Amino acid sequence: MRTARLLTGSALAAALLGLGGAPAYANDFGGAGLEVWPSSAAPDTTVTVNTSACGHDGHATGDARAVGDGEFPLTASTRKDVLAGQFTVPHTVKPGTFELTVTCDNGKSARGDLTIAGGGEHSGWDRGDRHDPGKHEPGGHDEPRGHVKTGLGGATTTSNRTEIAAGAAVLAVTAVTGGLLLRRRARGPQDRG
Amino acid sequence: MSARSAQSLRDAQAARRRNGWLLCIAACVGVWLVRQGTETTEPPQPSRAQAFTTTESFTGAASSAPAPPHARVGEARTGGALAGAALAPSEPVRVRIPAIRVDAPVMRLGLARDGSLEVPPPGRSGSAGWYKDGAAPGADGTAVLAGHVDDARGPAVFYALGALKKGGRIEVARADRRTAVFTVDAVEVYPNDAFPDRRVYGPAGRPELRVITCGGGFSEKSGYRGNVVVFAHLTGTA
Repeated sequence: MRTARLLTGSALAAALLGLGGAPAYANDFGGAGLEVWPSSAAPDTTVTVNTSACGHDGHATGDARAVGDGEFPLTASTRKDVLAGQFTVPHTVKPGTFELTVTCDNGKSARGDLTIAGGGEHSGWDRGDRHDPGKHEPGGHDEPRGHVKTGLGGATTTSNRTEIAAGAAVLAVTAVTGGLLLRRRARGPQDRG
Repeated sequence: MSARSAQSLRDAQAARRRNGWLLCIAACVGVWLVRQGTETTEPPQPSRAQAFTTTESFTGAASSAPAPPHARVGEARTGGALAGAALAPSEPVRVRIPAIRVDAPVMRLGLARDGSLEVPPPGRSGSAGWYKDGAAPGADGTAVLAGHVDDARGPAVFYALGALKKGGRIEVARADRRTAVFTVDAVEVYPNDAFPDRRVYGPAGRPELRVITCGGGFSEKSGYRGNVVVFAHLTGTA
């Protein structure tokens, strides 16, 4: 009887440990960004998006309506924690930068930008007010503008409520089990009596 | 007391010890999970001491301020290591930053249509990229290298760039088999919405290098809030 109850206790603790283990993994590798490739595309090209925002074994729906395409599905890629999906840029789209969003089945979301190229070499550059010919390198080429988009957050971890909850549950079970054991020990001789 | 009951007493004691251990382990696991859950980690970021000093410094808002590069040229002549003699232009093939254990191939990057610098594609986050229409590393002008701090899966080539210090050494191996050796002048962090284009990408009268990656804090909604930019100038060749 006693053994059975103890076994139940340890099994519960082990189950909670397992529960906590999975989100830890997802969290370690889970960025929240949306990888868009290519980030700059011409009309009629196929664009691939990747995200790990949805965690393990998730499904998600991408929204490319900003560029004039519809919604598209994201499914598990070669890595279980990364979802991938594709859509085609309609040939009617105008040059500019458009926001793509992905909504996971679990309610999380990720977003990224897609820039659509125009027809001519520089026709996509409608921000002429920021274009300063004096900024050119001696070679006559344009300098880059703005920040670089070189991170998706896969090396960051943010606080994880699942892990905190699992940890608290394990501690609670430990305390209760410990309390029960101590009480029984105190009554021990009578039990055997 | 019979041998049988002595045996059962020993069993009970053993079981009690085992239970004690199990509880102890469970408590440790619980504490570990809570700690793990509350922990947040991000790539290393430079301290203020690694930024340009105030006399040289220009904030993002003052990015149109005239001629910050001259101030640095002056500094190099009077104070820090002398600028090395410029090399002829040649494409970079590899970048090494011993202090943060970077030794990575370099690919070519152009501009995206919004005028921003392209970045290495997914799957090549272990590569650095060089702005192919700018100066070559070691030649006169501002050479620009960029690389990922991380991708969706974890750390990438320039994960530790923010840990680089003033005076650090950056070596760029080039297609002509020469190596340009740069010394770090400053490591700055700029927010995305106040990125000082001219200061980072603007022309320089001597061989200079910028190494750029993401940084400045991360939020789940908007991603990285800024860029880490390493400013360096040529101090030697090999």
